[in-house]
Amino acid sequence: MADTATGATLPQPSRGGWRILALLAPAYGWLLLTVFLPLCAMLVFSFLKTTPFGSRQPLVFTFKNYLAFVDRPYLVNVAWTSLQLGLWTTGLCAALGLPAAIALARATRGRTRQVLFLLTILPFWTNGLVRVFSWTMLLREGGLLDQAVHLVWPGAGSLSLLYSFPAVVIGLVHAYLPYMILTCYLSVVGIEDGLIDAARSLGARTPAVFTTVILPLCLPGLVSGAILIFVPVIGAFMEPRILGGRIGVTMGTVIEDQFTSAYNWPLGAALSFTMLAAVLVIFAAFSGVLRKRLAVA
Amino acid sequence: MVVRLDRRQFTQTMGAGLAATAWGLGPVRAADKTITVLNWQGYGTDEKFAVKKFQEMTGYEVKHDYYNAEPEMLTKLRTNPGAYDVAILNTARDSQAQAENLIDAIDLTKVPNAAGLADTFKTHPNITIDGKTYGVPWVWGMNALAVRRDKVTGVDSYNVFTDPAYVGRCALFDDAVTGIAMAALLTGQNINNPADMKKIGDTLKTFKKNVKLLWSSEDEWNKAFGGGAFDISVYWSGAVARSQKLHNLAVDFLIPKEGAIGWLDNLCLPATSTKKEQGLAFINYMIDPKFYVDWVTGSGAPASANSAAMNELPATDLNRQIHKPEYLSKIQFMGTLPDDRRQAYNDLWEEVKAYYAHS
Amino acid sequence: MIPLGRLTLALILVFLYAPVVVMIVMAFNESDLYALPLQPSLKWFTALAGNEKLIDASRNSVLIAVITAVLGTAIGTLAALALARHAFRGRSVLQLLLLPPIAIPWLITGTAMLVFFYWTGIGRGLHAMILGHVALAIPYVVLVVGTGLQGLRSDLEEAAMSLGSTPVHAFFAITLPLLAPSLIAAALFAFAVSLDQFVVSYFLATPGVSTLPVEIYTSIRKGFTPEINAVSTLLLGASVMLFLVFAVLTRMGEADERR
Repeated sequence: MADTATGATLPQPSRGGWRILALLAPAYGWLLLTVFLPLCAMLVFSFLKTTPFGSRQPLVFTFKNYLAFVDRPYLVNVAWTSLQLGLWTTGLCAALGLPAAIALARATRGRTRQVLFLLTILPFWTNGLVRVFSWTMLLREGGLLDQAVHLVWPGAGSLSLLYSFPAVVIGLVHAYLPYMILTCYLSVVGIEDGLIDAARSLGARTPAVFTTVILPLCLPGLVSGAILIFVPVIGAFMEPRILGGRIGVTMGTVIEDQFTSAYNWPLGAALSFTMLAAVLVIFAAFSGVLRKRLAVA
Repeated sequence: MVVRLDRRQFTQTMGAGLAATAWGLGPVRAADKTITVLNWQGYGTDEKFAVKKFQEMTGYEVKHDYYNAEPEMLTKLRTNPGAYDVAILNTARDSQAQAENLIDAIDLTKVPNAAGLADTFKTHPNITIDGKTYGVPWVWGMNALAVRRDKVTGVDSYNVFTDPAYVGRCALFDDAVTGIAMAALLTGQNINNPADMKKIGDTLKTFKKNVKLLWSSEDEWNKAFGGGAFDISVYWSGAVARSQKLHNLAVDFLIPKEGAIGWLDNLCLPATSTKKEQGLAFINYMIDPKFYVDWVTGSGAPASANSAAMNELPATDLNRQIHKPEYLSKIQFMGTLPDDRRQAYNDLWEEVKAYYAHS
Repeated sequence: MIPLGRLTLALILVFLYAPVVVMIVMAFNESDLYALPLQPSLKWFTALAGNEKLIDASRNSVLIAVITAVLGTAIGTLAALALARHAFRGRSVLQLLLLPPIAIPWLITGTAMLVFFYWTGIGRGLHAMILGHVALAIPYVVLVVGTGLQGLRSDLEEAAMSLGSTPVHAFFAITLPLLAPSLIAAALFAFAVSLDQFVVSYFLATPGVSTLPVEIYTSIRKGFTPEINAVSTLLLGASVMLFLVFAVLTRMGEADERR
């Protein structure tokens, strides 16, 4: 999402403008109909006192739902948990995904690379819920992971990871890591060998090549990956609920409750939009910093 | 405006085209001779033998659509007019559905098997609105305690959730009404209209150290209990019978001295159904003692609201052991909740859960 | 550094596949409570063969996922081209608008779609699910293709045009082949997003027309049986086959080998 077309001129309102419009119209038209208009309706709902759908009472408008964090101070802790989950997951995905993407792009060629590439996406083609349930079998006390550990080290105690914060992080990293590998891969694959050889021939060492050549070029991939991971993780509810046990209360599960069992759509919607606003602010601040960095690089 | 209409027509046409393609790929379906039932999955109406038997009797195939939460059931009834012919509702939701004209009144004389219904249920305040009956009582059950046999002894109170002997060994049902009702029992209040909500919240918060997880489905319960994750839990009476029978779990059901939380489910006729006659026939079959006995023996069920059906079970049957008629006096039934009270329940439960989660 | 990267890659593959292997192994295990030790059995596959509902649902899932991958990639790529190659007023706003579909939990988007489609008469069913899935896939496609486009130099295209190519021809002759890996990645993403999407499908499905994730989700209450594992295993196998056929047809990877 970083600005690339530096120095590009604004199009004349002639053919260029029409072309851009033609390119954009299908995507944004589609999104308008299926996402933006419905979400606008939801935005209106978020200012209502009760769920409008099926309620017999007259509509009453209120800002109360947006004061949820004041009225319900416990939500601050919940938001903090979600933020921690988002940061841990995104950080771990970046730490694991970037080296893997580099290895994938630089160390292998042709068919092997395509096969490895496919292998990283394949787990994605199974149902998320089934994967989470498989994790419960691996992580639970005396589960498969414990058994594997005991094979190597018979005296070890139980890891008993299930129903804990790390269990949720593991589940989330597993669900989102391929996003990071893919976006980083797409950036790294564009780096020409010549660039790295040139840096090497000028005497740069491996760490220096990494920080001065590879990392800046990977930034777009890292940023896209971070967006694709951090943003949905904040609202994730399946992994916390199934893997977290008692501690699995996040913004995602609170919102889910409002839409399922509690039937308080206005509150659920208001919490989502608050969350969206927070995410947008974070990324706005982040992209400012990033643009400066890119200019330096 | 024009653009939007065009787009809509476009998407509709395209959608129809795609749907037609998919239809061509799929098997040919007979659209006429089917009725659709809206229910929880795996809850009696979709037993294979029952679907088969009903088709033999009437020539109608029974299809299902499922819900995972009660508000969702209401949403489905609202947004899918005409789609459903029978809906299973917790009777505590009847008045809400009736007020929105989602369900029709039922003339019990047109349901022959209703003759055997226990009087307590036939005239239950939950289903009787303005002198009319809006559902046929089907099955009932209790939410009380399930404990691991041999490992947990001498429990007779919900206070066990604060007992230091069971730190990290307990589970709760992730349901606002059940959670609040349990604390209401513990603090001697009416479960449907507790006077002191603050006290209820404080009581629930004292459970924190003992609570290991909050479960939301029977399957989740069985797998976690089978895996040894906890020893004591709030659980459904009918589910205990199933866990023992189908999964051989060493679990016992007990009703603490404070009492149990009762619920009654009923079979309703959606107002927009076009096959009400067949709907009623299906409802009649659902309270047939023969169906009930087969259901209990095959997979395990809650207690039938039909006394005739309960009497058909052998006296030693687990279900009769668990749902003894004398327990009815120890039960407070979940009743109709006004919207604002229901929301207060949900809000408090959310706060309690957040308290449990925060380390 | 490369060996380190390879090690990471290997470990990551182990990590990624652990639950998938569990899933597949349990499909061949006799016990319905997923109990160990393993007792090999094909009974869940046999049971599956008689489960018309699950098979129907799986077919719908694949159908929707393929349509979503094709439509989503095409539509998203056009938008990515406009956003990456042209500077115009409102571009950053349009870019930011891609975030809500990702950031708002699908549960809310799904509920909003349900209500909106109900009001406008679009209704529920297969067409509604496709509308929803493509919409959810578009932001992913735009981001993935956009990332790929940033690594491409636009001067090649400009050179072609200065040599007399039309913009459209230059795009098909120069940009598209170079962009192919990104397009394939985007399509795979769209496919995965759709195949795994249960919330939106759940709200937009009608009785009788559902998808595999919807079936799985509703079966939680009754209990997961290894039949679910069996059908997931088969679906995974089918997806791999589909992909391999596609890879052979497009001769993926050959260009690299000849380099």
